Amino acid sequence: MPAETNQTLVRAQDLRKRYGDFEAVRGVDFEIQRGEAFGFLGANGAGKSTTMRMIGCVSEPTGGEIEVFGLDPRRDGTAIRGRLGVVPQDNTLDNMLTVFENLTVYAGYFGIKRREAKARAAELLEFVQLSGRSDDKVDDLSGGMQRRLAIARSLINRPDLVLLDEPTTGLDPQARHLVWERLFQLKQQGVSILLTTHYMDEAEQLCDRLVVMDEGRIIAAGSPRELIDTYVTKEVVELRFNGLHTTDLAEIASGLGGVGAQIEPLPDRILVYTDDGDDTSAALEVRDVRPSSVLARRATLEDVFLRLTGRALAEDEA
Amino acid sequence: MSATAADRAAVASARPAEAPLGYAAGAWRAFNLQLTLYRHVWHGTVFTSVVLPILYMISIGIGVGSYIDSSSTGGITYAEFIAPGLVCSVAVMMLGNDMTYPVFGGYRDWGGGYLAQRSTPLRPVDILNGHLLYAMVFRPMTNCTVVAIVLALFGVYSSAWAALAVPAAVLVSAALAPWLFFWCSSLKNDAMLNAVFRFAIMPITLFSGVFFPAEQMPGFLQPLVWASPLWHGTELARAATIGIAPALPPALHVAYLVALCVVGWLLARRAVARRLNF
Ligand SMILES: Nc1ncnc2c1ncn2[C@@H]1O[C@H](COP(=O)(O)OP(=O)(O)OP(=O)(O)O)[C@@H](O)[C@H]1O
Ligand SMILES: [Mg+2]
Repeated sequence: MPAETNQTLVRAQDLRKRYGDFEAVRGVDFEIQRGEAFGFLGANGAGKSTTMRMIGCVSEPTGGEIEVFGLDPRRDGTAIRGRLGVVPQDNTLDNMLTVFENLTVYAGYFGIKRREAKARAAELLEFVQLSGRSDDKVDDLSGGMQRRLAIARSLINRPDLVLLDEPTTGLDPQARHLVWERLFQLKQQGVSILLTTHYMDEAEQLCDRLVVMDEGRIIAAGSPRELIDTYVTKEVVELRFNGLHTTDLAEIASGLGGVGAQIEPLPDRILVYTDDGDDTSAALEVRDVRPSSVLARRATLEDVFLRLTGRALAEDEA
Repeated sequence: MSATAADRAAVASARPAEAPLGYAAGAWRAFNLQLTLYRHVWHGTVFTSVVLPILYMISIGIGVGSYIDSSSTGGITYAEFIAPGLVCSVAVMMLGNDMTYPVFGGYRDWGGGYLAQRSTPLRPVDILNGHLLYAMVFRPMTNCTVVAIVLALFGVYSSAWAALAVPAAVLVSAALAPWLFFWCSSLKNDAMLNAVFRFAIMPITLFSGVFFPAEQMPGFLQPLVWASPLWHGTELARAATIGIAPALPPALHVAYLVALCVVGWLLARRAVARRLNF
């Protein structure tokens, strides 16, 4: 690897943020390298956005240390923000302006000259497939289109690092794949990416490395593969029982001792972690449980998340 | 931290260092948002800057004026009496638009311009200055000039010095705008914006000696008059348009307005920095 890819873009040490009596971020450490796609996972309220805002130099930490591009946000916020692209969780597009103006006015904040701003705006609208909507008011765009516009806007200053807070939440599958493809492209161009997401498939596809946050702390870190290897078995057998729910399932689960490596009852199914799905399925046949369906599959990040936080993401999102 | 100095320098110098952002440049960049928004709505401001002054002059200046003996306005016609104050009043009315809802909404996540500006090189103080540049310089310089020209059609000026009514209006704006920004930065909901109109814009418009000499106000209201930036501006503007000596030496009126501006700006700067630290 060339030396350049080993540069640390963001370095956080015991980083904290307190709001009144409540500490939203409780001492996190991480490093993000140049060229990397880095992910933050975690349930609602875990502190992902708060951490992003501190990296984005719009929120002053209340404890610990943070460095972005080797600079101190407290002193060099302006210089740092000039090299960042930011897609906030809530877009912050200007509804009163047209799509095109949202880009050119934003370019002006970076001191980009008018002519150059227009050229970049046109190019970026092409990039996110919104060229046809250039003169529309933002209000007239669908939620997914607004999201894409926010992504386009974040690239107007040709940033070295893009912060994306839930870039694909609320997008239809097609728009999601478009965004993924664009993020891949950016990565290939050498842009580093930092994203939060609730979608495990997204994290698995996009992130070289990720951390899982829970209640303001990092509870696991590594590549998707490493996390799966460390925290769950190779395979998972899912058992469903028609009509049976939470307490019934917990009862059945307690009777399954000795099958697989670990058993996790969920509200709608039981997960059996195992290194050999077929073996375990066979072992279950011998017992007198009669699941309505048995599904053996490879373990995913979703399982990691479940093991680590004791909750399914879907529950938190509801 | 564990970074070596060389590593740090390499990351920091990946791009040529940009010159630090000065206040003027920062304000100018932020101002462009307001200017772009204005391009969408400028035709709506024609009412305030052209139609409204004409209506005032016809209904109040000429209509009401026909009942008023010129001895009560110091020997000038009533239309001449109210014209300079009207120019300054328009500045206050415009602030009622530009420095209330847009400031309140600027911080909101449903399209508030400040939030987007915040994630760029602009600092909170630039965001404040950009909005002020628009509301207390650009708007009165353009719109109040138009008002002053329209009023000239009514023959209410005694000399070319009347042009100074516009800078007087700018001073009124400058004295008031930072305070409105400060106030609206602290509002919790938009219902409270009504209070801004009720307790700032309205009383200032009514009790500043625009439509009748301030001395005719009851004594207990006099302090309100003296505090009002619009009264100071109107005194200055009236001196310019028809050469009536102002209540205080002009320099004192100016000093008061500038002092209000400076104190208000310091408060607003602190408020915006707090609100935009998330
Ligand atoms: N300005 C604030 N004042 C008070 N509390 C806050 C503030 N911002 C965030 N919090 C709290 O901090 C915690 C973390 O919030 P944060 O937005 O970082 O979570 P998140 O991981 O991004 O969640 P989500 O997945 O829902 O976006 C939450 O409990 C939230 O209520
Ligand atoms: Mg969030």
